[in-house]
This record gives sequence, structure tokens and C-alpha cells, in this order.
Amino acid sequence: MIETVANRLLLSIPVLFGVLILGFALVTLAPGDPARVMAGPAAPPEVVAQIRDRMGLDDPVVVQFLRYLGRVAEGDLGRSLISNRTVTAELGAAIVPTVELMVACLVWSIPLGIAMGTLAAVWRGSIVDRIIMTISVAGVSLPIFFICLVLIQVVGVQWRLLPFIGRGGPLWTVEGLRHIALPALSLGLIFIGPVARMTRSSVLEVLRLDHVRTARAKGLSERRVILRHGLRNALIPVVTLIGLQAGYLLGGAVVTETIFSYPGIGRLAVGAILSSDFPLAQGAILVLALAFILINLIVDVLYALLDPRVQRR
Amino acid sequence: MSVAEIDTTQEEVAPKRRAWWRRLLADRAAALALAALVLIVGAALLAPLIAPYDPFRSSRLVMAPPVWDERGTWAHVLGTDGQGRDMLTRILYGTRITLLIGVVAVVVGGLLGSLLGLVAAFYRRLDPFVMRLVDVMLSFPAILLGLALVAVIGPGIWPVIIALAIATIPDCARIGRSIAVSVMEQEYIEAGRAVGLSNAALFRRYLVRNCISSIMIFISLRFGQVILIGAALSFLGLGARPPTAELGMMAAQGRDFLLFAPHIAVIPSVVIFVIVLAANVAGDALRDVLDPRLRT
Repeated sequence: MIETVANRLLLSIPVLFGVLILGFALVTLAPGDPARVMAGPAAPPEVVAQIRDRMGLDDPVVVQFLRYLGRVAEGDLGRSLISNRTVTAELGAAIVPTVELMVACLVWSIPLGIAMGTLAAVWRGSIVDRIIMTISVAGVSLPIFFICLVLIQVVGVQWRLLPFIGRGGPLWTVEGLRHIALPALSLGLIFIGPVARMTRSSVLEVLRLDHVRTARAKGLSERRVILRHGLRNALIPVVTLIGLQAGYLLGGAVVTETIFSYPGIGRLAVGAILSSDFPLAQGAILVLALAFILINLIVDVLYALLDPRVQRR
Repeated sequence: MSVAEIDTTQEEVAPKRRAWWRRLLADRAAALALAALVLIVGAALLAPLIAPYDPFRSSRLVMAPPVWDERGTWAHVLGTDGQGRDMLTRILYGTRITLLIGVVAVVVGGLLGSLLGLVAAFYRRLDPFVMRLVDVMLSFPAILLGLALVAVIGPGIWPVIIALAIATIPDCARIGRSIAVSVMEQEYIEAGRAVGLSNAALFRRYLVRNCISSIMIFISLRFGQVILIGAALSFLGLGARPPTAELGMMAAQGRDFLLFAPHIAVIPSVVIFVIVLAANVAGDALRDVLDPRLRT
């Protein structure tokens, strides 16, 4: 078990390095002079040169990269060119809302997706199966921004039921819950489809296995067979799916946060890119990539915990 | 060997070939999806010929509703957008760009990725390096690559296409490798080696040809997802730039008029939905008919 985790951690090192190179390249390769952006369009050339010098922009690339690594290790990601607050502060304020959004989305969509997939598998070929699978294919094919716009229009504007701009507070407060409801609903809707599909095919596969037949043969109720022996084993691929789909979810979160003006990392990244705020954009992308690595790490560990065969490999 | 013998073998092969087409078209959903795709692609290709207006020309008729609304006119079947441009025309041109983004990204990324996978399976010594590279690439989801590239190059169609193509590489490399590994175990590869075929010939004639159909199916399954991400990036203002018509961007422009002219955002979104749904349904059906092994 520990070995699996250690192995997985070791594997993340080159990935982490790749992320850092990308983050660094983002700032150095970007067209337009960061010093120029910082000084403002009207600044005289001497001021720009001074800022260039202070930021070390004229040093060789390798030196700049090493210096960049050192700074990242110290948690110094520079300052936003626009707000002039430190990038770490900006990111710190945005991480919690994004995590809350993810939690609020997964907490309803995963159980529902699993339930739908199990029902579809148990009543394979029936009308229930057809309806569930149609819903899930349609769900995978819907552009996330369309879901968001429709929910805003119907639930927010016409019914005036829920707020649709910004964050109301922490998740455990009433306002926080009210504000997160629509974004979490939108994001969850695109996730149900893949979960239901994966659960269905994985339950179908498990129900064919010997131990399920044995369970049936010894006279267990069908419900018990499916819940105890079928679903439990079928959930392993579903866990991996969450890792595989983490990128998909992240993309959805970026769009959802932007549309709902929800102050998370995704909206921060898009805003920073659109306003050429390179340090902030780089920091946000770095954090998103780290989150992605972390999710996959957790999924792999969970996978090893759920499936004892992995440890022997 | 007599002529009659050859004839019988041909007759045996022919029904088989027809069979998979028939099985595909017998699936009503798949047939419908294929028809929709042909129609949409055809309309997009013929946009300059069939579009009733100039996609960039504004008229004084701003936010005209589509024809099924009681205030709609037949002059603008799908109405006009916030700048008085004909929606039908822009949808046709927008579908072109959206499809272009998806097709180029999936084809380029899919080819590069599967080639990488085949090479890894063929030259076993390269395998660990290629697969480690693929692992690193897998940790950059498409949306992140898109954001990063746009941050460096600036918004536009090409950074989005490049990002989506790069994001398609690792998955295709993995699937290409797993398919190729099973092909490499076949006896005809060994036979080919024994006859003294060069590596290049073995790779081209035996490996590529035996892997290509499974890989194509996998790539077609990716198409819908790629279209969705591309449209999302454009929706965020990171893809196509105005005044270019692109479906995701058109939906974004319609956001401001959602209250009085919902059709400006709804129609492009629905077109994206139909394209992706049709691609997904057709891809699934194609896989079930041709290569059920790929089912996940």
C-alpha cells in the first residue's frame, strides 16, 4: 500500500516539472513585455528598462527559470499586474470557493449517476434503461454554457427562485448554499452522464461474474446480490472514471464560474488571461494543474485501497 | 484453382461487408445521427453558396425573432442577432468554423498520438520513454492547455486548435499502443519478420493496417468532446474573435439579450448540441458494430 502511494508520488515529479516549465514558459514566451504592461502604455522607455532590470528580464532563460523555481518553492508567485496584490493572496482567496463548487457538484451528481447506472444495468434493455441512457448521452453532448444560461434564465430570472451571481458565503451558510445551488447543478448535470454510463457497463460486467452467481445460488435476495456483491465491485472503475474525467470537470468549472461570476480559480484564470495579467494567469494555471495532479493521485490511492489486486502488481 | 472457387469466396466476403453497414443503419438512432451529421457537414461546406446573406453585413432589423415567433419574418428564418446580422447565415458559417476546429484538432492530434502509440509498441525500447511522456501530457487537461496557449499566443482559432490537438495526443497514444501491442503478438508479424521484411515495411504494411480501424473509431468517439471544449473556449472569449462567426462565441454574444431575444444564444447552442449528440451516437454505434472491444 505505502509502496503504491510512494510510486505514484515519484511518478508525479516529472509531471510537476512539466507543469513548472509550462508555467515559466507562459511568462517568458508571452508576447508583449510584462515590464511594459506594468509600467503602463504612457511610461517612458527608461522606466520600462528599470522595471525590466528589477524583474531580471534580461538574464539568460536558464537563470530566469532557476530563479523562478526558487521563488515558486518559497511560495512567491509575483504580483498581479492589475490589482498589484500578490498572486498567492489572489489564489488563496479563490481556492476555497472552487473546492466548494466541486464538492457541491460531486455530492449530488455521483450518487445520482451511480443510482441511474445501476438501475439501467439491472433492468437492461427495458424502457428504464433506454430512458436513462438517452438522458446520459444527451447530458454528455450538452454544452455546459447552455445548461448554465437556461438555468439562469428559468430558475434565476423567471422564477426568481435562486441567485445566480457570485458567492453568498461559506458553504454551510444559507446564503452560501443558495448561491452555489445553480452553479453546482449546472456542473453536476454534465457529470451524471459519464458516471451513469460507466456504472452501467461496469455493473453489467460484474453481474456476469462467478461470485455473483454464487451469491444468487445461495439464495440471497436480488437486491442484496446487486448492492453487496455487484455494485461494490462495480464501483472501482467508477472511481477511476472520476480521475479520468477530472479534466472535463475542471473545464466545466472554468465555464460555470465565469458565467455565474463565481469567484473561483477558473474565473480568475480566464479574467487574468483576457486582461494579459501574466503572473496571475500563470499562478492560476499552476494551481489548476496541481489540483488535477492531486485529484489523480487521490484517485489512484483510492483505487489501490478498493482493489487489492493493484497492490500485487 | 478454378474461377468458380474464386467466385464463392467473393460471395462470402461481400455479404459480410454489407452486413456491418446494414447493422449500423438498422440501428435507428445511429442512422438518424449519421443523416444529421451528413446534413450539417454538407450545409457547413456549402455555406457560401446557400447562405442567404453576408455573415458580416448588419441590417437595421436588430434582434428580429425567428420565423416561428409571431413577429418573425421569412426574410430572416432564424431571426437576426444583436447587430442585425442574419442568424441563419451566421449559423451556417459558424458551424463551419466549429467543425473545422474539431476536425483539424482530432485528426492531427489523433494521428500524432496513435503514431506515437504504434511506435512505442513496435520499438519496445522506446516504450518507457514514450509512455512517460504520455503520462506527463495526460496531466494537462484540454481546457488548461487551451488557457495556457491562449495566454501565450493570444485568443484565436489556432491556439484553440493546437491546444485541442495536443490534448488529443495522449489518449490516442495510449489506445494506439494497447491495440498495437495485441497486434504485435499475432503470428503474421513474426512471419513477416521471418521472411525478412524490413522494420519499415513491417510497421507500415502489417501494424498500421491492422490497427487503423480501431484507432479511427476511438478518434471519432473523441470528436464530440473536442467540439464541446472548443466551443466552451470560444464562449469564454478565448477562441474565435469577432466578427468571425463561431457557434460558441455566438452563444456568448447572445447572453446579453437572453431576456428579449433568447434565440440569439439558444440557436447556436442547440446546433452544437445536435452536432455533438449526433457524433456521439454515431461513434458509439460504429464502435458497437465494428469493434466492441473498445467499449468502456
